[in-house]
Amino acid sequence: MREPVWEFLIVNYLFLGGLSAGLFFVSALATWLQEDGQPAYPQIARWGALLAPWPVSLGSFLLIFDLGKPFRFWKLFITFKWQSPMSIGSWLLVLFTLLTLANLWAWLEPAERTGLLNRLPAKLLGRIPSRVVAWLEHDFTFWRRELAMAGFPLAVGVGIYTGVLLGAVQARPFWNTNLVAQMFLFSALSTGTATLILVRLFAKKQPVALAEMRFLYTLDICLILIEFFIVLPYLIHGKLSVLAVQEALGQILGGPFTFAFWVLFLGIGLLAPLLIELYEFKPVLLGTGPLHIRTRWATSAAGLVILGGYVLRYVFVFAGQASSIR
Amino acid sequence: MARKSKKRYAMVLDSRKCIDCKACLIACKAENDVPLGVFRNRINVEKAGEYPKLRMSFEPEQCHHCENPSCVRVCPTGASYQREDGIVLVNYDDCIGCKYCIIACPYDARYHNPETHTVGKCTFCAHRVDRGELPACVETCPSKVRVFGDMNDPKSEIHQLLASRRHQVLNPQTGNGPHLYYLL
Repeated sequence: MREPVWEFLIVNYLFLGGLSAGLFFVSALATWLQEDGQPAYPQIARWGALLAPWPVSLGSFLLIFDLGKPFRFWKLFITFKWQSPMSIGSWLLVLFTLLTLANLWAWLEPAERTGLLNRLPAKLLGRIPSRVVAWLEHDFTFWRRELAMAGFPLAVGVGIYTGVLLGAVQARPFWNTNLVAQMFLFSALSTGTATLILVRLFAKKQPVALAEMRFLYTLDICLILIEFFIVLPYLIHGKLSVLAVQEALGQILGGPFTFAFWVLFLGIGLLAPLLIELYEFKPVLLGTGPLHIRTRWATSAAGLVILGGYVLRYVFVFAGQASSIR
Repeated sequence: MARKSKKRYAMVLDSRKCIDCKACLIACKAENDVPLGVFRNRINVEKAGEYPKLRMSFEPEQCHHCENPSCVRVCPTGASYQREDGIVLVNYDDCIGCKYCIIACPYDARYHNPETHTVGKCTFCAHRVDRGELPACVETCPSKVRVFGDMNDPKSEIHQLLASRRHQVLNPQTGNGPHLYYLL
């Protein structure tokens, strides 16, 4: 077994990139779904739009910091190699981050925008042509839906590419299955949903609308279930695969990552929040009443989803590098 | 393959001649200025059996200079590349140190250079080969384990060995088409 060359910076990045993809995806979905010509869940859409650019920006910074030669990162952007997941991914990251920033601007209220522009140092603001300033201040509300549509493929791209980055390496059997990419994607979307649940619970200014919570819960339950039914065949196929894959899987079946995978990820990070959310969702499923939100339970469920997403990436980054076909 | 008329450098190893003296490791380090703690080549030691019926075998290994190298495929900047003659190299000026190639190499042949913070690997001593000399490990090996040369040249020793002796490559299931040939 060799020493890992990708460590916690990469785990953090994979988590943060996925989180942004999830935040944007949910926000875009809440924008795209319309009621009377308006976004159906405006608070979710706005919060998602406001938060989405930051995790991925921090993650990209960590990614650059992890390079042996951080000041050469620009070399990524004078080349494009379609066979290298990292090359595709770095371009996706840039496009996605720019789009989330544009989307953030479109979701700011006119007063907030003017306020932000006025905060710029006068020297800098003076340099910007007044035409541009006027354009930045004008109403972008009608762009929100277009930006959401344009962002869907990029958000899904960023979410899934983190898995492809690992999965497209035939030398590491722990990763090299056709399920890791989807696992990472749905986990990413789920962490984004959970973050928005947390934000909606604690943003006191706007009281939680039940319809919004119902939307987030429905989404998260679906996402967790899909993720679970990706993890399950991953384990079954792995166990029934060639020796190298069986040995790689041994790391979570009795090996050093067993506890992290089964308890922290699958138990606490996936099934426990699923059960909590299903329990709170039960009245809706049975048609006996509205969604029953208890802040403490909802907070725990969302927190556990986020923890699970992080542990999943931790287990995969480290166990994957320790696996080998020899 | 399209490169039939061209050169294709490769190495034949007769593991049974290896005595684990590690002269190849040292020669490589001296020739290529490899930092402390990392190596471009290694000797895999396998022990088997129970006392008194014991067996020990030594198998030298380094970059396999694959036909379809995964390291070159995954490199995001194109720093990892393959020469016309099959030698796989890293252009250190273009390497950003992302270490993806280290992870992608099924033969664990690459390392992170702690001094330059780029990725290093066996070059088949391309600088010597271009001068018409042999790689340092080949030249130094006291028990003549290693034969290096152009396997497309019918007059070369390596071509004749591969034509006349049974041989194998390590882990052909990688699909990489490795070019270190081990005599059986």
